[in-house]
Amino acid sequence: MEEFSLVISVAYQFGTNAAFLLLCALGLIVILGMMNIINLAHGELMMMGAYTASLSYQAGLPFPLCVAVSFLVVGFVGAVFERLVVRRFYGRELSALVVTWGISLLLSQGTLMVFGPFLPSIPIPGGSLDVGAYSLSVYWLILIAVSIAVVVALAWLYNRTTFGLHARATMQDAAMARALGVNTGRIYMLTFSLGAGLAGFSGALLAPTASIMPFMGQQFVAPAFITVVVGGAANVIAGAVGSSVLLSLVRTPVGFYLGAFLGLVALLLAALIIIRLMPNGVSAALQRWSDRRAQSH
Amino acid sequence: MSKRDSQADVPQGATTPTTEDTGFSIGRRDFLTGTAAAVSAATVLPNLKKAKAQDGSPVKIGFIEDESGNLSVYGIQKLHAAQLAVKEINEGKTLKGGANIGTGGYGPLASYAANAPTISKEGVALDIVNAGGEMSGDATVFVEDDDVFVDSGDQGILGREVDLVSVDGQSNNALWQQLTRRLIQEDEVDVLVAGFASAEREAIRPIVDQFNQLYFYTNQYEGGVADANTFCTGPVCEQQVIPVVQYMVEKFGPRCYTIAADYNFGQLTAAWTKAFAPLVGGEIIGEEFIPLSVSEFSQVIARIQQAKPDWVMTLLVGQNHHNYYPQAAAAGLSYPMASTVNMAQGYEHKRFPPPSLNQMHNAIQYQLEVPTARNRAFVKRWMDMFPEDEYIGEMAQNTYFTVHMYAQAARLAGTTDQETVKRALELGWAIEAPEGAVFLEPGTHHCAHYIRLAVCDENHDVFFVREWPMIQAWWLQRLGVNLVRNPEYKQYVPDEDPFFSMFG
Repeated sequence: MEEFSLVISVAYQFGTNAAFLLLCALGLIVILGMMNIINLAHGELMMMGAYTASLSYQAGLPFPLCVAVSFLVVGFVGAVFERLVVRRFYGRELSALVVTWGISLLLSQGTLMVFGPFLPSIPIPGGSLDVGAYSLSVYWLILIAVSIAVVVALAWLYNRTTFGLHARATMQDAAMARALGVNTGRIYMLTFSLGAGLAGFSGALLAPTASIMPFMGQQFVAPAFITVVVGGAANVIAGAVGSSVLLSLVRTPVGFYLGAFLGLVALLLAALIIIRLMPNGVSAALQRWSDRRAQSH
Repeated sequence: MSKRDSQADVPQGATTPTTEDTGFSIGRRDFLTGTAAAVSAATVLPNLKKAKAQDGSPVKIGFIEDESGNLSVYGIQKLHAAQLAVKEINEGKTLKGGANIGTGGYGPLASYAANAPTISKEGVALDIVNAGGEMSGDATVFVEDDDVFVDSGDQGILGREVDLVSVDGQSNNALWQQLTRRLIQEDEVDVLVAGFASAEREAIRPIVDQFNQLYFYTNQYEGGVADANTFCTGPVCEQQVIPVVQYMVEKFGPRCYTIAADYNFGQLTAAWTKAFAPLVGGEIIGEEFIPLSVSEFSQVIARIQQAKPDWVMTLLVGQNHHNYYPQAAAAGLSYPMASTVNMAQGYEHKRFPPPSLNQMHNAIQYQLEVPTARNRAFVKRWMDMFPEDEYIGEMAQNTYFTVHMYAQAARLAGTTDQETVKRALELGWAIEAPEGAVFLEPGTHHCAHYIRLAVCDENHDVFFVREWPMIQAWWLQRLGVNLVRNPEYKQYVPDEDPFFSMFG
């Protein structure tokens, strides 16, 4: 029984680690992976999601609805930013980096000025489950399930719908896509808006586990970039799933047996080694591996 | 004990939190007369010297805190505290206090009788002639004197208006250094009040020393700063860690698991916990340092569950670490918790839904809920000026009484000349702060504080279970620091004291 509960607890820790990385990375997968915009305002978009969720929760909406509202509100804000600012910087990666950094400063400092140093938290929904000496948070189990569901939905959107086809065409060769009648400007706006909306969505989902403050976004930025960069650009969705699983596989046992500090060290070390061995990310390695398998058959 | 002996003519006063006034107020009045004598000394002297200080220009109090960035949740409170104190000084108000050779307070837990007992000496022993009737109850004693806020007999400082020159450190150490140079060299401030994180203080202290700037650091911190230009008015480890560890071991058992922020504050406070726990029969069964970037705690929670402690010492700092509390509550972790920072500074009990902070114990020197009349009056003055504010934390109160203390010292000195004000402060300074009596010990430039053990209940209301009316910051004294005789400019660390490995 003792061993069984230990196994369950470690599996749960693995799940929460992977889900946390995936949730942080969701919006960034779309914006960095598809559009190659290094969006340094990613954390602030997540912060806006958390703020929207907290404000609508205080207004009396049930929590799942708050998450949906956050997705829509932050998605809309993303569309506005894309139209007004970001679209002027396509193809100029470094300029885009500086501009999105500026947006992030405006958003966090503006939030501090308008809402003060913090908002009331949202109580974590769901209780806890006891497994032997350990206990699991039901809400984190839900988050694990939701992050899997969102990844599946994204994969479906990009591989099975007309929008997905147009989006992939635009990312591969914008000029050709335009020649074939795809409205690339619209695709860029929708993609950026979707990425922003997903950041807001994750921010809202993580809001109950966090303190809702103007600078809360910073805590998500590093995990998000590590996940996406380790994942690589060959297939961003598979890459993000692969990298969050791989990184959590390293982090969980080290963190559990040796402590949070070494857990973090292990995660960063693993990221370093993976990027060194697979410079194009996990997804490129997966791609090569599946190509080789296809050839050898 | 010696201090209490020196006031042997003052009977021990006792009131319960619900009875506002009993026959014991006479004793309190006697006590206050003593303080009042010191006050009048502080207010009469400058009147004699006033003539020479009149050049009409305002007294400049340089002030740096983080009004934006990661630490703004604390910085804005501290700024408001300084603004309130400056306003009061300009309106001719002050807190009771003055140069003093020492101070004392009332005893903590006491049984009280209906009437004052009569004592007589018969032969070699003291006899109780009349016990004063049946013991009618036990109570935590606290001082209910609501008249510590008094006229200063001055407008501003020495008739000069006080100007708060406040700049925003933006939670950025490099900027802190720049701003310190600016305040000292361009604004030529008369005093500098600044600093939240220890890293910020250590970043600017060399600049402070370069210009021999009179500097107040008002934060609770890890202790050890021995600097002739620096006056530390917040509490340090020995004043907080030891009381809370002692209480937790007595009440919940010996096995403690420490989780601490992985930088100098967390490391050093954990070292104090580890060094002191064995002296009261406690034992550190696990110790974990958590990087400031960690915000997801399921693994830490599982490790604590695996270790099965009697209680958990949480020394968590910053917005990421605050997430531990709701996450631990959601995971069903219900161990009693102790801390020296959480609740009193970041008011986590007001920001997170109950019962995340249930059973949090903190040996605080101040937090908003301190149950005395003088504190209620202070909170009211504050909220009249800043009605939007959510909370007044430990360091905000420190900043508040520190600014008043500076004004008093400058009045006694009769000048804002920094060296003279430092000498005045080094007389030893007592001030009746909202927390209770505070005594600035001249040799170490640290303050003895009124410490209370605050406990958070499942509704996130706060109650107080034990009090220490005057705990000295004794560690630097133990190391032989005396800045009056031997000026130094360094920070001592536990490695320099064998105490830290003596028992652990």
